[in-house]
Amino acid sequence: MGSILIVAEIQKGAIREATYELVSFARRVAEATDREVKSVVAGKGIGTQAEELSKRGGGEVFAIDGDTLEHYTVDAFQHAVQAAVEAASPDLVLFSNTPTGWDLAPRVAAALEAGFASDCFDLLVEDGKLVFLRRVFNGKLDARLVARGTPVVASMQPGATAAFEGTADGKVTALDAAPPADSLRVKFVETRVAEAKGVDLTKASIIVSGGRGVGAPEKFEEVIKPLAEALGGAMGASRPVVDAGWLPHEYQVGSSGQVVAPKLYVACGISGAIQHLVGMKGSNFIIAINKDPDAPIFEVADVGVVADLFEVVPALTQAVKEAKGAA
Amino acid sequence: MKIMVCLKQVPHQDARLDINAEGTWIKEDGIKFEINSYDQYALEEALRIKDAGEAEVVVVSIGPDRVTQSLRTALGMGADRAVHVKDPAIEGSDALGIARTLAAVAKEEGPDLILTGLMSDDVNTAAVPPMLAQLADMPHTTAAVKVEQHDGAMRVERELEGGALEVVDLPRPCLISVQTGLNQVRYASLKGIMAAKKKSIDVKTAADLGVADQVGPAAAKIAVEKIYTPPKGEGAEILSGSTEEVVQKLVAKIKELGLL
Repeated sequence: MGSILIVAEIQKGAIREATYELVSFARRVAEATDREVKSVVAGKGIGTQAEELSKRGGGEVFAIDGDTLEHYTVDAFQHAVQAAVEAASPDLVLFSNTPTGWDLAPRVAAALEAGFASDCFDLLVEDGKLVFLRRVFNGKLDARLVARGTPVVASMQPGATAAFEGTADGKVTALDAAPPADSLRVKFVETRVAEAKGVDLTKASIIVSGGRGVGAPEKFEEVIKPLAEALGGAMGASRPVVDAGWLPHEYQVGSSGQVVAPKLYVACGISGAIQHLVGMKGSNFIIAINKDPDAPIFEVADVGVVADLFEVVPALTQAVKEAKGAA
Repeated sequence: MKIMVCLKQVPHQDARLDINAEGTWIKEDGIKFEINSYDQYALEEALRIKDAGEAEVVVVSIGPDRVTQSLRTALGMGADRAVHVKDPAIEGSDALGIARTLAAVAKEEGPDLILTGLMSDDVNTAAVPPMLAQLADMPHTTAAVKVEQHDGAMRVERELEGGALEVVDLPRPCLISVQTGLNQVRYASLKGIMAAKKKSIDVKTAADLGVADQVGPAAAKIAVEKIYTPPKGEGAEILSGSTEEVVQKLVAKIKELGLL
């Protein structure tokens, strides 16, 4: 009987919810293909977390504890994960596509000479075969991948399925596999939070955001900001705008910027890359204005306008002003 | 210092994406290509290290003839040399096959630093850089938002989630994949473009690099069976009509929300 190995992650002292999402995926595959689910958790002083994972996720949990695993470094965690791979001999290894997952999973895959399916939103079993679904072209198209042979390594998009909630029966196996300090090349220095400046979009009840479609920095002042002001809201932006230096980072909405959930979100000239959608899809009401009818933003929007934002937005600004004047 | 920069040429971000007859990839005929956005930042970072001290910057790309254009652009921006791995046998490789090809180039070049983009704008896998580091036996880090030299090592700030950063030191040789927005990417100057005409592009095949049996569809451990337009969910209610009509409908919606 084959096995599936879940690479668990600890965040803020507890097993990350995304790990339990991996448990959901792994259990589905295990049931369909008669495989066992195992997992590995690595860190320093992680006895409690390993117990927690065995109780809530079930299966055999390999706990790898040691000083060199206090902070994530690719060297130390690769060493630990590969020790667990040796112990479990899995034919599927699952990571979450988090900063740790995207750093570590491909490297482990290369070391195992395994196929690698990155950032998948679904994992299916068809005729006993593993099928991976993922987005390509920044969310504009989907791809269906099939593995040829085993083992396979995959990373799953956090939030792609519900975290496992069910009965579980597990056990913890301590694995003496922390790497010696002198074998490590990457040195952890510190983690810190980027300074938050000025704009706190998370408190705004209305946000008008512009994307690459706005075309130039001065157009934010001329077109986007007036609508935000007319509505009494704040201005936001997508990542390409900030990368291009059109607006500072504090305006960025998305997984690497601010995650917002206003009453109204107006997306202008934003195609809707996943990293942006993650940051705003919790909004109560979303209006999207974009020239491209196939833009992924229309999938999460409540109301869409397929048109040139330079025609619609100024007209909307004017109409909002008039409506307010009449009220 | 010798810096190897891996560049991928990808369909232009505004290119029309039509799926090919086999359903396995997009139709590449007639669309524009560009250097992957993330890789442009990697190249710029290499050129900044070169500008600040002494470095040789070698750009490497895998792909058909069209890739020459991107390599010429990179040379025009200031890269010193280019390696173009051109071999139809490499088409259909998985990330591991590409990483093996680049590792073979790295073995020939012996760089102190490899810079790449975090991921490519077409397949979005972010797989090749860590794989290449593993195969080249180098430490690596991903999603760099700041790269500095510190005590003979590379000090890198990498992006985590929600505005958090992680600082790590990597001894050279090492590989760093970079996030977009790391720097402001320069344009190739006319002088640069003229100078680039004298710079060499080495063309190599998989056999030249000794990886002929490790690339292409036959060696791939994972394969794209098909690509397709995502199934439409409920999606947005699309408003139609003249600009004036659409705007009035939007105002009505905003009023319904109690925000006007």
